[in-house]
Amino acid sequence: MNQILSVTGAFKKYGAVTALRGANLSVNAGEVHAICGDNGAGKSTLIKLIAGVETPDAGTIEVRGTPVSFGDPQDALAAGIATIHQDLGLAPAMAIYQNIYLGSELSVRLAGIRVLQKRAMMRGAREILAKMNSVMTDMTKPVEALSGGQRQAVAIARALRWNAEIIIMDEPTAALGVRETKEVVRLINELRNRGATVLLISHNMADVIAVADRATILKGGRAVTSLSLDGVSADALAKMIMDGADDIEEA
Amino acid sequence: MKQLVAKYGTALSGLALFVVFLLFARNFASPANLLTVLKQASFLAIFACGFTFALLTSELDLSFASIASLAAVMVGWLLHSDTSWLIAVAAGLAVGTIGGLLNGLLVTAIKVPSLIATLGTASIATGTAFMVTGGVAFVGRWDASFLALARGKVLGIPFLIIIMFAIVAISWFVTRLTPLGVHMQATGEAEGAAHRAGIATKRMKLLGLTLSGAAAGAAAVLLVANLSSAAPQMAGDFLLNAIAAVLLGMTMFDPGRPNIAGSFVGALILAILANGLVLFGAPYYLQDIMLGVIVIGSVGVSASVLKKAAFSV
Repeated sequence: MNQILSVTGAFKKYGAVTALRGANLSVNAGEVHAICGDNGAGKSTLIKLIAGVETPDAGTIEVRGTPVSFGDPQDALAAGIATIHQDLGLAPAMAIYQNIYLGSELSVRLAGIRVLQKRAMMRGAREILAKMNSVMTDMTKPVEALSGGQRQAVAIARALRWNAEIIIMDEPTAALGVRETKEVVRLINELRNRGATVLLISHNMADVIAVADRATILKGGRAVTSLSLDGVSADALAKMIMDGADDIEEA
Repeated sequence: MKQLVAKYGTALSGLALFVVFLLFARNFASPANLLTVLKQASFLAIFACGFTFALLTSELDLSFASIASLAAVMVGWLLHSDTSWLIAVAAGLAVGTIGGLLNGLLVTAIKVPSLIATLGTASIATGTAFMVTGGVAFVGRWDASFLALARGKVLGIPFLIIIMFAIVAISWFVTRLTPLGVHMQATGEAEGAAHRAGIATKRMKLLGLTLSGAAAGAAAVLLVANLSSAAPQMAGDFLLNAIAAVLLGMTMFDPGRPNIAGSFVGALILAILANGLVLFGAPYYLQDIMLGVIVIGSVGVSASVLKKAAFSV
């Protein structure tokens, strides 16, 4: 498998707190890679570095073997990395299609003035959602009227429209019920089927086991292990997270 | 059905009100009176368009009326010191635009909340207007070409009304049909999400407040041309009236959201109401009371419409 993203020796300090102390991460193209760890292990800091929200104090990030340095999330996006935050980053009162095209609306120049192509955007939005097997008929519906799973689908559709190859999903199932969670797991599987690489941060071990191919476990700002999740149970994974490095060799 | 009522209920009520006045208010239906109503609505609508732009980006502009008064006395002062009317008009527009830009910079660069920033600039503008005039009004002889801005007619329609329609149409076009309009709306509704999607949210807020000032400048020029006088607090009454028009507008067409079509119809309804009440012989204080009820009622209605919309679609 070829590596699409790697982080080597990442350090990050916030004042007196050292969030990351030499964390490593290696993600293969086309896999769903979970980042696990207890609170304070450094998961969200590591993700922030990859998403371009923060810059590392030391360490390197490589995308497809090329070292990158992100000043802001737009840089990360240009490198093909999109982040779906826990709050999804959607405008609740705006329409589905407006959210999918937010900030990169389709328009045509008429006498020098950019005019929106609403029909084309609605059609495009419907197509992207259909590729995810997510059926929504009325593209003018506000996002706040959708279910949690559907909202997640809209956020993913936007990431896909940005041509992101690596999609970071931060706690996508945290606030969802059983049915909604199933829908999100299905969406993540769809993403993998389409060849996208997914970085998944989740506290829910059952979700991680259900959908991820591999996991990297963080503890105290360091990656203690990376392992394939084939045949690993949720309980075993939870134990590894709590025990940290102790069981690496056996795992 | 519910959706139709939510979208068009207010506009239809306004139409009903108009018909009642046509039938029962003496002289309301005379062409001269209808023209007066439309002229009054024109000033309101221009101010309201500006306020709509600011509110669309989720910023309040409480200074537009004071800035308009300052722009008006600037126009009066220049015309009375024998400056060309073109320069006076340009100066009036510039005072409005610069005032709005200043508001925008206070809000985006110095991070003063718009409620406070515009209250402050309103007071500064009022003070400056008194300074320019020494407290008196500019009246007397005015350049005929200047007065024609408001009073001149094309095919029997006053310029004032044509200019108002042009401003409303352009504003509607920008907010509904251009990426800029969507970006302003997204900035107002979900600033964080809009910013993360690459929208220059600060610039949108700056633009919203600047346009509010620019509209106030335009309205001021037309006010002076229409009344052939310029006084330091001449636009004061438009503050709450224009805000009421915008809030009333938020109960129409795109419920819960500032929208130009709504602001325009809101301005029409308020002008009709004010005129009709006078013709019905209603006491002068009733207007203020009605205005307060409309401001509070509109916000109440659009808030509840918004809540329902979220769950019923």
